[in-house]
Amino acid sequence: MPSPIALSPSSPPPSLFLKKKKSSLSQIPPFPTAASYLSALHEADARARGQVVTPTSTPPLSISSSLTSASGDTVLNEPDADRSGLTYPLTAPTSEQVFTTVHTEFGHCANQDYRCVSQHDSEKPVAEHKIEEPPYYILFTTYFSYLLLIIFGHLRDFFGKQFAKSYFTHLVPYNGYAPLNSDFDSFYTRRLKRRMDDCFSYPVTGVAGRTILVYDRYSEDCNYTQMYPGTKTRALNISSYNYLGFAQTSGGCADAVEESIKRYGISMSGTRREGGTCDLHQTAEALVARFVGMEDALISSMGFATNSTFIPALVGKGCLVISDEHNHASIRVGVRQSGAHVRMFKHNDMDSLEALLREVISQGQPRTHRPWKKILVIVEGLYSMEGTMVNLPKVVELKQKYKFYLFVDEAHSIGALGPHGRGVTDYFNIPPRSIDVLMGTFTKSFGAAGGYIAGCKELINSLRLRGHSGPYAEAMTPPVLMQVVASMASIMGVASPTSSNPKASSQALTVAPQADEYIHPGMAPASSLPTWLSLPPSLSDGSEARERIRRLAFNSRYLHAGLNKLGFITYGHPFSPIVPLLIFNPGKMATFARMMRARRPTPIVVVVVAYPATPLVTSRVRFCVSGAHTKDDIDIILRACDEVGDILDLKHGHGERWPLEEIMKRSVELVNSL
Amino acid sequence: MSAGNATLEPLLTWLTLILAQLERTFYKVPGSAVIARYVRSSHQNDPGRTVLELILIVFAVRTLMQSRSRDKSEGKLIKFSEKEIDELIDEWTPEPLSAPLTEWEQRDLASVPVIAGPNGPKPKILSTGKTVINLASYNFAGLAGNEHIKERAIETLRKYGLGSCGPPGFYGTVDVHLELERDIADFLGTESAILYSQGFVTISSVIPAFCKRGDIIVADRAVNFAIQKGIQISRSTVRWYDHNDLKSLEDVLISVEKDRRKRGTPITRRFIITEGIFERDGEIVDLPKLIELKHKYKYRLILDESISFGSVGRTGRGLTELYNVPASQVDMLVGSVANGLCSAGGFCAGSTIVTEHQRINGTSFVFSASMPPLLAVAGSEGISFLRNTPSALTSLQENVRAVRAVLEKTEGIAVVGHRASPIVHFHLKIPCIANGSANGIATNPTTVMPPPTGPSFDYEAEEKILQDIVDDALANGVFITRAKRLRGQEMVETRPTVRIVVTAALTKKEIEKAAGVVKGSVAKVLGKRKA
Repeated sequence: MPSPIALSPSSPPPSLFLKKKKSSLSQIPPFPTAASYLSALHEADARARGQVVTPTSTPPLSISSSLTSASGDTVLNEPDADRSGLTYPLTAPTSEQVFTTVHTEFGHCANQDYRCVSQHDSEKPVAEHKIEEPPYYILFTTYFSYLLLIIFGHLRDFFGKQFAKSYFTHLVPYNGYAPLNSDFDSFYTRRLKRRMDDCFSYPVTGVAGRTILVYDRYSEDCNYTQMYPGTKTRALNISSYNYLGFAQTSGGCADAVEESIKRYGISMSGTRREGGTCDLHQTAEALVARFVGMEDALISSMGFATNSTFIPALVGKGCLVISDEHNHASIRVGVRQSGAHVRMFKHNDMDSLEALLREVISQGQPRTHRPWKKILVIVEGLYSMEGTMVNLPKVVELKQKYKFYLFVDEAHSIGALGPHGRGVTDYFNIPPRSIDVLMGTFTKSFGAAGGYIAGCKELINSLRLRGHSGPYAEAMTPPVLMQVVASMASIMGVASPTSSNPKASSQALTVAPQADEYIHPGMAPASSLPTWLSLPPSLSDGSEARERIRRLAFNSRYLHAGLNKLGFITYGHPFSPIVPLLIFNPGKMATFARMMRARRPTPIVVVVVAYPATPLVTSRVRFCVSGAHTKDDIDIILRACDEVGDILDLKHGHGERWPLEEIMKRSVELVNSL
Repeated sequence: MSAGNATLEPLLTWLTLILAQLERTFYKVPGSAVIARYVRSSHQNDPGRTVLELILIVFAVRTLMQSRSRDKSEGKLIKFSEKEIDELIDEWTPEPLSAPLTEWEQRDLASVPVIAGPNGPKPKILSTGKTVINLASYNFAGLAGNEHIKERAIETLRKYGLGSCGPPGFYGTVDVHLELERDIADFLGTESAILYSQGFVTISSVIPAFCKRGDIIVADRAVNFAIQKGIQISRSTVRWYDHNDLKSLEDVLISVEKDRRKRGTPITRRFIITEGIFERDGEIVDLPKLIELKHKYKYRLILDESISFGSVGRTGRGLTELYNVPASQVDMLVGSVANGLCSAGGFCAGSTIVTEHQRINGTSFVFSASMPPLLAVAGSEGISFLRNTPSALTSLQENVRAVRAVLEKTEGIAVVGHRASPIVHFHLKIPCIANGSANGIATNPTTVMPPPTGPSFDYEAEEKILQDIVDDALANGVFITRAKRLRGQEMVETRPTVRIVVTAALTKKEIEKAAGVVKGSVAKVLGKRKA
């Protein structure tokens, strides 16, 4: 059963190194007006409906042709909708192609060449992460910009306190109260961040899929207040954590969630240990354990809280936590609450980790020099600001030697990495059980919310009992649980109970011989899912999700490679869906975001981050690629970066440079050459 | 000799020339005259003084070059050879990652009932397949299972999808989040509100956003676990007052002020942190008196209304409505959307300055994805339900009275908490006395430990009896729960209790019948124990 996301029946097994038959550029249809394009689309759609037999068991809601838009805002009255490529693909679908997704949420891309398998080549060593240095004048002007901002900030504070007292009431003591926030602590926020506040916290509406509707806003008083005229703009979304494109309003997952709301309601009205546990929790936990390849798993209703409330149950006084310096804030909060001693090692630097391990084990606890009770090394699978991937083979090797416990935070990597989407262990083909604790979130790849911790049964039971979330935090709500179950089951594929259908599951997934037996990374036994759940065939055979994973891998690599060939400095692993592009100067950073948003016909919304989330000099824009993006979308982003990068002087990479057209034309070759 | 001099002579002249050249260049540098004058005046024909100056310079340079890392033990490291280190590594055996569960802990874990299908006033238990009356879940106003809210949630799903896929700062602020924030602020009558995606982490994020090192927190001894964690992270100076004793609070406030006067330190930020309805025992704080004290001693008030929001007051606005105090008098009013509105998440309401500050400094706001839009819509719908249905809160209060009336007459247990509290805790009247008595310590605001009131209890024995009661009640069709605590992690060990959560979704008759079942279970379990 071919995938209905991208159906191209006659496509031979893609030979990636052959010269491409058709370039994507030549496919842009020569339709002069929106009307003619639409009518052509109508025609193609009508033909497709007539010819292709759509899966009959699919619930009616998920059959939506390329023309129907399930979003509440009708796409037709959006200006520029025709040329932007946002609401309709730039490449018109051919008669054989039937897409069941809404293009604004999940892009239509039928070309099987634009796929890639995310897998580590075990013969190659794990690539060290190289950091390219910018020219000195860039560093100088960056420091100078900050200096200027600080000087002007202090000047404005000084004169402001004399002449515009009303703005400073909350910063000075009044009426016997100390100021709520000291002007020193809030200096950065008031004087540096406020200048570019228009780049953050944009209110949006609708689904955060491939495109997103942002509310227009402007400020007349230097970002103190924002004015909303009430209009909205649809923009290409390269910012949301929607790696596999499960942020959708239609399709099998949304249908399952709707059914779950009807059956279970909205909330479990209580904590897990005080009557807030339902059968869906057990189903989801068992499924997560299978998905990641561990004995057992527990689920927490918030990703941040998964770290901050369960790490204290793992370590305590007399224990040592060794943490990567770029670990997420939630890990830091959790470690701080635990009372354990913390040491940091240089980001992803295995030599630094080993040296530290040798030191701490030989020296023991400070002052008393008693041996540590236990040492927990906490690393992330993919680092959210750097896009780097942990050198897991080396960490596991060190673990054998130094006997520490290993906690891998897969918040970003689960779903997004590995040929089966099972995260960083799948990518490196390392047995998951060689790691003690696997943690991850459902926010990113699964389009849900919350997080999980997986490990051996004894550990998980102990965490259920001793973690803070069990007795005090609200249980995960049924709709969120259902989204987790449905999206996860669709990534795994569902083994039919009779297992008499080897054809459907022959490709990359191994067939579970019996319904209850599970070999990692295999399909989910049908018995492990709620009986009332009926996923459409494309989801239950895993073909659609496989497409999503492969599209994500291609898009990630293509954007990485494309930006490098354009001459930008980027960080991170080529397979990482997080692609940070270095901007350095704080002023350019804000300008970059504004210019991208102001682009027509296709506005692009980007995430820019600066100090304190990053080191002072390395301000960056962080692209989050999704499997919902098409190759055309990445082309649009590359073109935008190319043009904006020229204006802002951002191209400081040392590698070989290609012109944009060549990058776009030779994309497949580029992706495979990395 | 002279030959030697002769050969040296050109060298010496050359050196003199160089020196002269250097001197000239030195004087050409602007400001060099000042340095020369300084050196000359400090030298004063005394080489010792110059040496001292030089030493000072060397010392200054060394201090500047020194690494500023915190590790003072670096110098105190014991030197080992590589071989010794290898041996030490071989010898080291870590403790297991998780201590195995005790028998009681295993029972505790297994005793958690699993609900099949939706939760509500009458859920079905998975293991028995029986429908029971639910007095365990936070469903105060009876919002669970509300058909209109379900419909709205499905509409939202079809427009927004499920997850928000991003933190609020990065395109995760959906319009429905802002609407819920506005709804909450309107409902309570504050300037604004900020939405967190889980109730539990809300206050433990709000506290450290404002309370920093050196600030003063005065807190109740029986505050809930989330507040304890928030206080722990804030690293502020903490003073404790006796549980729900505002006289004790005033004493502490006076002593803090006295202390400050004595030391002559400038005013720092000062906060009073307490709960509206205590999650631990259902006591209600005397809000008007608290506000009076706060104003008198110039403290800011962080009030956790996680239980009281959506459950007390004429329309469920919480303690401020119950006592008719404007909510704007509370500086940071923290509540739970999960408990009060049967959805998920938490909020902090207050002035715009307070909420905007958290949008950058609230750790779990900034670093976490925003809550799924459909849950935010469910929250908004919950508020409009509360606004339009004051009868729900009236029947809730009637039910509370009915439950208390039955339980207070039950032999062998003591019902604690305030009359109006929708959560009713009871513990055993006759304690299981543990061996050994508590050490006497006077009330001391610097420690969280309360003054000793009597012999210490055998917690586990009491927990077991209470669990028997809970199990028996469940077998007879009433779902209640012990108030689960993390013993050993809580700052203060409190008496184990059974918690009954009253709901407006049940009729008075059903509630009375359920309370009667609990009464019967108590009598049965305690009777068996005596026998």
